[in-house]
Amino acid sequence: MFLFIITIIFFLLVVICTLLVLLKKEMKKTFSQEIAFNSLWKVQSVLLSTLKFEDVVQQITNVILKDINYINMGYVIVVLALVDKDQKNLRRIGISRTEEAEEFIKRYPKPFTDIEIPLDEIKNIGVQAIRKNKILVTSNVADVLYPTVDADFVRNLQQKVGLKTTIVFPVVSRNRKLGILIFSLKKDQSKISDIEWAVMRNYAGSVGIAVENSVLFEDVSKSNEALTDANKKLEDLDKLKDDFVSIASHELRTPMTAIRSYAWMALNKADTPLSSKMQKYLQRTLISTERLINLVNDMLNISRIESGRVAISPISFDMVTLVKDVLVEVEPKSKEKQLNLLITGPILIPKVFADPDKVREVLLNLIGNAMKFTLNGGSISMSFFTDGQMVETSVKDSGVGISKEDLSKLFLKFGRLDDSYVAAATSGGTGLGLYICKSLITLMRGKIWASSEGLGKGTTFTFSLPAATPQVLANEENYTIRVSSGEAKNLEPVAI
Amino acid sequence: MDKRKVLIVEDDQFLREFYQELLSGAGYIVDVAPDGETALAKIRQGGWNLVLLDIMLPKKDGLSILKDLKTQGPAVPNGQIVMLTNLGNDTIINQAFLLGANGYLVKSSMNPDDVLNEIKNYLQK
Repeated sequence: MFLFIITIIFFLLVVICTLLVLLKKEMKKTFSQEIAFNSLWKVQSVLLSTLKFEDVVQQITNVILKDINYINMGYVIVVLALVDKDQKNLRRIGISRTEEAEEFIKRYPKPFTDIEIPLDEIKNIGVQAIRKNKILVTSNVADVLYPTVDADFVRNLQQKVGLKTTIVFPVVSRNRKLGILIFSLKKDQSKISDIEWAVMRNYAGSVGIAVENSVLFEDVSKSNEALTDANKKLEDLDKLKDDFVSIASHELRTPMTAIRSYAWMALNKADTPLSSKMQKYLQRTLISTERLINLVNDMLNISRIESGRVAISPISFDMVTLVKDVLVEVEPKSKEKQLNLLITGPILIPKVFADPDKVREVLLNLIGNAMKFTLNGGSISMSFFTDGQMVETSVKDSGVGISKEDLSKLFLKFGRLDDSYVAAATSGGTGLGLYICKSLITLMRGKIWASSEGLGKGTTFTFSLPAATPQVLANEENYTIRVSSGEAKNLEPVAI
Repeated sequence: MDKRKVLIVEDDQFLREFYQELLSGAGYIVDVAPDGETALAKIRQGGWNLVLLDIMLPKKDGLSILKDLKTQGPAVPNGQIVMLTNLGNDTIINQAFLLGANGYLVKSSMNPDDVLNEIKNYLQK
């Protein structure tokens, strides 16, 4: 009986011990899994926390050894090698900061970052790992360095440092083969636990993402920098151009003003009577100089409009009043040519929403042109039309007219017509006025066009501008143009 | 004959002599200054019915002259100060007005006749 009890107790003890051992084993397994999970979480968060390429490389080659202490488990060197941009070579990029790594680098006959292995060197197991997209293991470090140095030399060095196993992982992201990650261990392959394998596999996966991200980030940063530089250069050039145009036109004007002034003096204040030839020559000198001055003004205006230096500040105003003001302004000139300036048709039109200074510039140009191309004693009539949305203003002259095929050329730069050249030469025209008109009217969201019944039948220039309707006034911003960089410039005065 | 005194400040010799001749011809008593420092000294002596003041000048530009006049005015009061300019550039003209200028003439866009008329207008003010 006693023996029986002893046997039962012994049996129970054995069962309990077995259970305890099993329990402990299970606990250990869970514990190890937890460690593995924590390790992975830690390395991934470190790896993915930075985007700068050098920093990412630093982390890749160090974090697994130091942050989760794999260095105590025999892992001593981690190397990252990447395929270069032209897909020809595998180049060493980073290595751990451990004693073993330093020893290796110090004794190695080539600088570390000069180690380049051609991707067609299939005896190299790094190349094989990339090509086959497989994890490869070797006990010879020389296998990953082939053919850069003598194998015996590497074997010697490997023994000194004490490396026993080298594992090569392909580094891949989104099916792109980026390079390899090499682990060198001071222990045999058989001593590597399943969990260590799992951690390394996972780690290599994270490295792929981290490398890809940081390469993309570097690329974006570089193109950003290049764009910023290019933009800065363009701004500088634009400023230079503006300054040049401004200074050049100022410098040009001083001698031109002197020529004009003295030609005028010779014509008007000479102390001897002038022959008719002399008068003609001086008259032509004077007109041509005026044309030259106008040309400089117009070019300066175009440069300002085209470089966005002209602001549009719209208000509601009465077009008819503005036209009347301009007609008063040009009256002295029109009297010289005995031209009849008049307003015809209905004048009860809605106010327009535009920049009155710019519209005045357009009117001076159009009326000035009409006066140039209308013979003495002719007439120029202004008229208005509206459909409620737009207000049209027309300048009709009784001048030489324009043939149909020439109408489209009018608003181009220097779009002067052959037939009108004689008139232009004697009138100081520049060939730029209508281009400026079109630019300004377009900025104010209007249109400008010309029509003619043909040569000898006069020409009508019409421009439309938005009527100051409640809808337009509610969207004032759409009609306003501010100068984005530098100061807004006013336009040089129009000569008539 | 109008015996009013006009000072012409203009660095370009031909233009300076042109204004001098034009205004002397019209009967004014005319003196000239070719640079900013000479101009400032003459304006500070005072007694000018009209000063035609160029903006871009050697040694001291027109706006600086106006600023200096604010800190130390003329011994005898002057009449009108009218800026001579080549460009109808608003910012500079506005600055000149703020600094005490009474008007401006755009040299390149005016006939000598117009210049004389403008000057007569300023002298009547």
